[in-house]
Amino acid sequence: MKIEIYDPAMCCSSGLCGPAIDPLLVRVNDAVLALKRQGVEVERYNLAQQTKLFMENKAVADLLHTNGKKALPVTFVNGAVFRTGAYPSYEELCAALGITPQASPAVLPSA
Amino acid sequence: MTHYIFFSGKGGVGKTTMAAATAIHHAHSGKKTLIVTTDPASNLADVFEQAIGHRIAAIRGVPNLHAMEIDPDAATKEYKERLIGPYRGVMPEDVIASLEENLSGPCTTEMASFDRFIDFMEGDEHDVIVFDTAPTGHTIRLLELPVDWSRHIEQSAKGSGQTCLGPVQTIQDSKEKYDRATALLRDPDRTTFVFVMRPEALSLYETMRARKELETIGIRSGLTVINGILPQEACDVRFFWRKFEAQQRVIADTETTIGTPIRRMFLRDGEVKGTTGLASVAAELYDGVRAAPTPAAPACEPEQAAPTAPDLESLLFPVPGKGTRALFFTGKGGVGKTTVSCVVAVHLADRGYKTLIVTTDPAAHLGEVFGVPVGSEPARIAENLSAVMIDQQQAFAQYKERVLSESRGTCSAEMLAAMEEELNSPCTEEMAAFDKFIRFIEGHEYDVVVFDTAPTGHTLRLLDLPFDYARQVEMMVSSDENAAVKQETGNRFREIIALLRDPERAVFSLVLYPESTPIMESWRALLDLKHAGIETQLIVANLVLPESACSNSFFRNRRRMQLKYLKELDEKFAPPVLRFPLMAEEIRGLDLLRKATAALRPERIPSEKRS
Repeated sequence: MKIEIYDPAMCCSSGLCGPAIDPLLVRVNDAVLALKRQGVEVERYNLAQQTKLFMENKAVADLLHTNGKKALPVTFVNGAVFRTGAYPSYEELCAALGITPQASPAVLPSA
Repeated sequence: MTHYIFFSGKGGVGKTTMAAATAIHHAHSGKKTLIVTTDPASNLADVFEQAIGHRIAAIRGVPNLHAMEIDPDAATKEYKERLIGPYRGVMPEDVIASLEENLSGPCTTEMASFDRFIDFMEGDEHDVIVFDTAPTGHTIRLLELPVDWSRHIEQSAKGSGQTCLGPVQTIQDSKEKYDRATALLRDPDRTTFVFVMRPEALSLYETMRARKELETIGIRSGLTVINGILPQEACDVRFFWRKFEAQQRVIADTETTIGTPIRRMFLRDGEVKGTTGLASVAAELYDGVRAAPTPAAPACEPEQAAPTAPDLESLLFPVPGKGTRALFFTGKGGVGKTTVSCVVAVHLADRGYKTLIVTTDPAAHLGEVFGVPVGSEPARIAENLSAVMIDQQQAFAQYKERVLSESRGTCSAEMLAAMEEELNSPCTEEMAAFDKFIRFIEGHEYDVVVFDTAPTGHTLRLLDLPFDYARQVEMMVSSDENAAVKQETGNRFREIIALLRDPERAVFSLVLYPESTPIMESWRALLDLKHAGIETQLIVANLVLPESACSNSFFRNRRRMQLKYLKELDEKFAPPVLRFPLMAEEIRGLDLLRKATAALRPERIPSEKRS
């Protein structure tokens, strides 16, 4: 089971490097962590840092040439394009992989 | 093997002149020498009287000597091009544009300059490389970077594999490079740290602090230069005799507190410029040969009043209905920014305005001026007057805690750990300090907030941050989930930019002393501010020699030089010029600060009242 996410150009993957915290990116990162816990292989590539990989993946390169940067993020499930232009939710990814979503990951009580 | 010589010390102490003279000294002795500046507000070109720029240039008339100014903008451009260049023409244009935009953040600038600086420590084409480094606080941060970064990289390698620098795999090479650089910095056989200071208590204190900070990262300094020592024979007037005695006390203190060898440089009655002037400084510094005095000036020239006297009330007092007014004092360190802003703050507080004085200078010394401890929370100094120092490390810790506490209860422990790791980057540190700095204006708690800002180059970068941030916010991926955050952040930064550009809410003042180099630097700062949509409203010419004090040829010569430059200031600069007299003693404590506020009340000419 493998998920690959081709992210738009970002300073870092969790969305914390910018001037404000982006809750969307935090949610994505949490989903990635949960999937990894369930034994799913997850790879993320950042356009700003691994530009070469975006050109080497034919599907991603074609999407970029057709739709420009709007095509990003691109998510692959087991090697096939699953979603372009937006991040899928944790539940959607679980359904695509045929696994059961875990109850929301162990949430720490507020300090 | 190349020997590296770093010049440290607060800007304005004569670091560039000492570094340039040292470079000439080594070049003259037959060593292949390079002098490099990493100061964004460099004046190497002014000192050598020739254009240098962002490449290695031969210095005319001095065999074996080359120089280079690392321009942070050009370094960033080169760095960006190295990353993006290979994809031009291959990737669609909007993708290239998004890559470029992503690399326009504050992280990239810092990374690029640092990378360039380290490059010089890799080769071995030169026998001696002299670094005319940026002012103390900045220098320390720059030198601390390799330590922080390798730690940052090590930790990231264990975690998410993402850092601000790029993915871990691709920067393992860099890690080795950074480690090699740090090892070199710590090797006393390869690297010498020279501290330049003025014979003033504040300067000694700053030097001690900076030395200690370097020692905590395992770097020992090798030489101290005391620059600007008054020649005893010139101090036949009481006014300067007192200054002479005060200097001698500081020199004695320096000898007892600093163990490293100390070299002395005397104040001259004219400016040091060009390679001939520098060679004579080198002769004094390394061979103890004093320069001959310039021919005596005629009788002391009377001071002409500035044609456009500043209307200080409308420039400094809050404008009714406009909320908190922010007063920024910028200029190269050592020109007396801290003193001037403290005097202004005391003046405003005495006039009944609730005033806060804030320093963002990493080598701040507000507590030293007020004689009371000043920390990271506003401390009461007097009626209506509080002071605060933004400590970058602490601001960073608080910022991190705020971010993490918001996420506790909504995120998993793993997620929190990942977040914490991402937050441990030098860029976040800078952001945290900026955030704290701007909150004092947003708070509406004070009538006036006076900022004793960091030296010019640093200040401009700091002020540039909201502009970068606004761009970054535009770039966030849009979705319903983050629309609110995006809008809120965007609005906040737009409001900050509007505030900085509104002359009734923010006042930018440039502090300088009437000599060639500070005037040139101020001119550049003024243009940079203008570029950011900010008009400088006031020039403060500090350390103006009072007429009553210049009774011998040494000070007549110096005063003649100052008056020439004051005239130039009035003619060339649009903003009005406030002349701030050289004080008979260092301004320490509230009583002396109050006495000094006389300079802000134009009905009296304070320089003539002194005995």
